[in-house]
Amino acid sequence: MRSQGVGQLGRWYSRIMFGVCVGFAALIIALLSLVIWYLLAIGAQSVDLAFFTQDQSGDPTAPGGMRHAIVGTLVLVGLASAVGVPMGMLAGIHMAEYSQETWLAKPARFIADVLAGVPSIVIGILGYELIVVPMGNFSGWAGAAALAFIMIPIVARTTEEMLLLVPNSYRAGSFALGATKAQTILRVVLPAASGSVVTGIMLALARVAGETAPLLFTALGSRFLTLDPNQPFPSLTVQIYTYATGPYEAERRLAWAGILVLISILFALNLTIRVVAARSARHLKSN
Amino acid sequence: MSQAASHPDRGPAIPPGSPTAARRAKTGLGDLALGIMARFGAASIIFMLTALLFVLFTAALPSVRQFGANFFISTQWRVNTLEKPAIGPDGRVLKEDGETVMTTIPPAFGALPTIYGTAVTSFIALVVAVPLSFGAAIFIVRVAPRWKIAGPISFLIELLAAIPSIAYGLWGLYVLAPFLRDWVAPTLQKVLGDIPAFRWMFFETITIAGRLQERPIAFTGRDMLCGGLILAIMILPIITAVARDVLRAVPRAQIEGSLALGATWWQSCWGMLRYARAGLFGAVVLGLARAAGETMAITMVIGNNNQIAASPFAPAQTMASLLASEFREAAGLHRAALLEVALVLLIMSLIFNVVARWLFVGGQSRSAAAH
Repeated sequence: MRSQGVGQLGRWYSRIMFGVCVGFAALIIALLSLVIWYLLAIGAQSVDLAFFTQDQSGDPTAPGGMRHAIVGTLVLVGLASAVGVPMGMLAGIHMAEYSQETWLAKPARFIADVLAGVPSIVIGILGYELIVVPMGNFSGWAGAAALAFIMIPIVARTTEEMLLLVPNSYRAGSFALGATKAQTILRVVLPAASGSVVTGIMLALARVAGETAPLLFTALGSRFLTLDPNQPFPSLTVQIYTYATGPYEAERRLAWAGILVLISILFALNLTIRVVAARSARHLKSN
Repeated sequence: MSQAASHPDRGPAIPPGSPTAARRAKTGLGDLALGIMARFGAASIIFMLTALLFVLFTAALPSVRQFGANFFISTQWRVNTLEKPAIGPDGRVLKEDGETVMTTIPPAFGALPTIYGTAVTSFIALVVAVPLSFGAAIFIVRVAPRWKIAGPISFLIELLAAIPSIAYGLWGLYVLAPFLRDWVAPTLQKVLGDIPAFRWMFFETITIAGRLQERPIAFTGRDMLCGGLILAIMILPIITAVARDVLRAVPRAQIEGSLALGATWWQSCWGMLRYARAGLFGAVVLGLARAAGETMAITMVIGNNNQIAASPFAPAQTMASLLASEFREAAGLHRAALLEVALVLLIMSLIFNVVARWLFVGGQSRSAAAH
């Protein structure tokens, strides 16, 4: 950087670049508004009560609703979190509380970060090779497993980070009162960080609820309302994809409506995350 | 408890995982159980990556054996066996008893077109997204706090990241693609079409009956440009967020020192950018990793055509979109070839992510040393 004084030209250049930065930020916000506005506006024209109460009819000109797909997504995400949340939290607890720098925790932390960036379609293909091929058919289990695979690293890393934020005096106090390490972690450290850990879990939920690619070759999608994970399983995202790329106008309208519902859920989740995170931060401060 | 909580000391008296802390605690059966389960959880993460690499590699082995390095050079992607009239040594179609002699051409799989498609769309995405993101990051760090809007702006940009890929795909397919097809491409053609230097953008050369012919590209909107732009919008939030954090980590002394020496606002920003360049490069690599691995949105707008074309208005295929559109119906060698593509995609994303992490860590220790 030049340290001597700048001329008129430099000052004008600086002003222009200031404008450019403001303009770029404004452009990103404008783009965001444009995308969201389209998604919400077109979706709002297409969503109605039948969307939530009817399943796919099989008639492409009057395709019914997406109840089966909404239920499918809820079940898939539920199954995935039943495995992914405890596993991820355990990994996070290990990395934060047991061995921060050992042979196990260090590579686990590194790999968790790297796994979070693996394209989700690759994880879907792993689910296909490991579960669909041996089972002989596409199934809800395979879809849930693929989603759990995505959740574990995210939950592990956020749990670890949140546990490390808990002051050490908590642990020292608990030990001083005669608690074991497990009691300290489960009854003192984890509750103290619970707000932020919940945030991390919801972040992972929001991430997998919007995933399409890992479900394409695992859960596959289905026209029917089902609760049997041994069968091909419907999901909101795959159903939207099928409708959106299909040739029928009525189905495309359903796809837009589906996106509206999906985004509303995800935004609601994100807003809740914000509120919970802010509250738990206040909680830690005011205590 | 509450006494301790009122002074949240972050002092490193006893690091939570240190042997001292462990020795002071009593141990019990519950302890042992939680310890083992936690260790199992951490080990499972390492196992996950190993499984990913092992399974993809074993399943891709037939393709690796069959094609070797040719897989990355060949532009042929033929799923089915082809029948073609045999050509004799004199250059004419061979006939035997009035019947045309047919030769069969076996299926062939080369990944070059998809690698090319991935590279071009990612490149377009970076060219568009990086300046925008860096500008926005500077805005958030240097301007927005003054106007008290840093929080809301950050939140809005992070909201972009919460929109799922399929939504961007739908938007790209029904809003952006028609816009590019009806407005951008024709306008560009009107302006640039007559200039010979830009001819490659609007014409493609194809072989019809053994002769090279040039014909205008039909604008569909579903092309590499549309794919690149959608990717750009999708990687904006991650690059902006990382660049913002990296720029925030620049020591205040660095900024104030340069301002005190009489630097203009932009000169001090430029100083920040230079200071944080390792981390910023990490942000770009992270964006590149996202762009290269993005699947659903790009599958919907890329046009799904396995070809290498120069023009951004030509349909193409990326590695991820190839997987999304063909894997379900694939069998045998075709599936093995797709699995090899998946393996390449995986290894590529691993490398990008490791490099990005390494750049952040390098940048952090550098700024820590400067304090």
